[in-house]
Amino acid sequence: MTRFKNPRTQYFYELLSYNNETKLGSFFVASIAVLAIVVALTGDGLLPYNPIKQNVGPALDAPSLQHLFGTDILGRDVLSRILYATPNDVFVSFLVVGVSLLVGALLGATAGYRGGLLDEALMRYTDIIFAIPALVLAISIAVILGPGIIHMMYALLIIWWPPYARLARGETLRVSHQNYIEAAKASGIGSFRILTRHVLPNILTPMIAYASIDIGSVVIIYAGLSYLGLSIRPPLPEWGAMVSAYQDYLVSAPWLPIFPALVIGIVVVAFSILGDGLRDAVEAARMG
Amino acid sequence: MGLLSFVLRRLGLAVFVLLGVAIITFILSRSISSNPIVAWLGRAASMYPDLAAAYAAKYHLNDPLYMQFYYYIVGLLQGDLGYSVLKGRPVAVAIRETLPYTLQIAFFAIVFTLVIGIPLGVLAGKYHRKAADYGIRAFYLAGVSSPAFLLALFLLIVLTYMFRLLPSGGALSPGVSAPKPFTGFILIDSLLEGNLSTFLDALTHVIMPSLALALGVFGYVTRVLRASILEVMRTNYIRSARAKGLDENTIFFKHALRNAMIPVVTLASLLVTWLVTGTLFAETIFTYPGVGQYLVQALSALDYPSILAITLVFAGIIVASNLAADILYAVVDPEIRLH
Repeated sequence: MTRFKNPRTQYFYELLSYNNETKLGSFFVASIAVLAIVVALTGDGLLPYNPIKQNVGPALDAPSLQHLFGTDILGRDVLSRILYATPNDVFVSFLVVGVSLLVGALLGATAGYRGGLLDEALMRYTDIIFAIPALVLAISIAVILGPGIIHMMYALLIIWWPPYARLARGETLRVSHQNYIEAAKASGIGSFRILTRHVLPNILTPMIAYASIDIGSVVIIYAGLSYLGLSIRPPLPEWGAMVSAYQDYLVSAPWLPIFPALVIGIVVVAFSILGDGLRDAVEAARMG
Repeated sequence: MGLLSFVLRRLGLAVFVLLGVAIITFILSRSISSNPIVAWLGRAASMYPDLAAAYAAKYHLNDPLYMQFYYYIVGLLQGDLGYSVLKGRPVAVAIRETLPYTLQIAFFAIVFTLVIGIPLGVLAGKYHRKAADYGIRAFYLAGVSSPAFLLALFLLIVLTYMFRLLPSGGALSPGVSAPKPFTGFILIDSLLEGNLSTFLDALTHVIMPSLALALGVFGYVTRVLRASILEVMRTNYIRSARAKGLDENTIFFKHALRNAMIPVVTLASLLVTWLVTGTLFAETIFTYPGVGQYLVQALSALDYPSILAITLVFAGIIVASNLAADILYAVVDPEIRLH
């Protein structure tokens, strides 16, 4: 077994290699992340074709060795377009989940630790947000802000952090009665320091397990929003937007809408597998 | 705590949440731009200053914000959700026309979800770590991971274009006239008229959108039921039943399953949220004239009053179903009322 000097690195290594699910999931997720970074850095340099250029092949060509996923009505290579959209979809999802995790952890932990009015207000606010379907609320906010990827991210950020705050609050309540917190209080450490140094590190693992499944949910919602035309403007490719633009060819060229939709599904599956495994690993670690 | 006080407390929370949602939609409606009239009426606002002034007066746009909110809430309570330029009639009327279609789909989607989800969950729990378990897990993982439009397109390809079993969209086939609106549900109205062929035609149009929704959510039922069965099978009373010498099938179906079903009730709110979200895509792809399609049309027409009113209606549906699930849960499992 691999050993790391840093105990936290060691702990995360053990979580990620807990069982076949976590291993498979981390492999897929790492591959997607690497692909996204490579495409982001090289642009269309390494892609089979220029994703925006028209007539790189015959129009509506069926999948073949030259065009693995076929070509669209303008003769653009579908595989290149899907790959080119990867960084966009992946980074938006990571960013939304990352910021939600951060905001949710800070607010939830503070509310759980301090209790009182802040706690009550936070819980009631999350009650309200949970009553509106995320996609519908995101639509209302995005419509009011106007289309565009940045506006859509604002919309997603506004609605995405409450579950994290809930989770962080619950975990904080669980942790705050433990001996080491009592000990920290007894030795006169201030609340802020207890929160940042003792509470937050101990509630982070279950939150990260939740976040890894949740990235898949953002991918789906984001795809849904761009399917409805709220994100990037054409001709730049985006998975959800590609499905909606291509679904008119469902009879003559079914691969056109199916491939981008399948790619969304596969990315979500990868994050679900990792997240499911991580949840089991966290549970097992807690049981000791 | 008695059941009554539990119900009353939940009811209070529901009212509070709905008020909160109304605050959010109000804030959104007033932050569209500096001038909501322009957003609502479009170019007509500058062409007809009288109309714009009448509008401002009707919606109290010249009053202070807290008075505007007061009128907004009073309007909501009286069923005034604003006017839809897209539909050319009040939003409330447009929603009343479209909602029955969505409820028809939702009803069948829930039926399909339970019919697919429960047996698979039972099988996966009974044959834990056997081939059936792994197969079922792969199947539901694929379902819950697929965006709603993928499932809809997939069904469209297989059931319509490959096997020609079901119509590709709409609520009725071309040439079939809709029954006289009585309840607004064409499935019920056609039966009331005694028109069986219209009923069957409407039924074939309902199947695919609701099946597409069910395929996206049945996995949650299967997953929760499976986990719950595994947990129940480890409890002491099952061990006692085994020690008494009962056979495994009696233990599983008569003793374990009944308790294992309880947590499925907690899924109600998640399922309703998911179904509501899914209708946007299912109704758009299958051109089914429900609220989901209405919202998508309102989105491309930038019909703000419709969008915000539908947001409110969806929240109302979710809050109501949460309330029902909570009460049902408290009735099924009295322990829950204590918390």
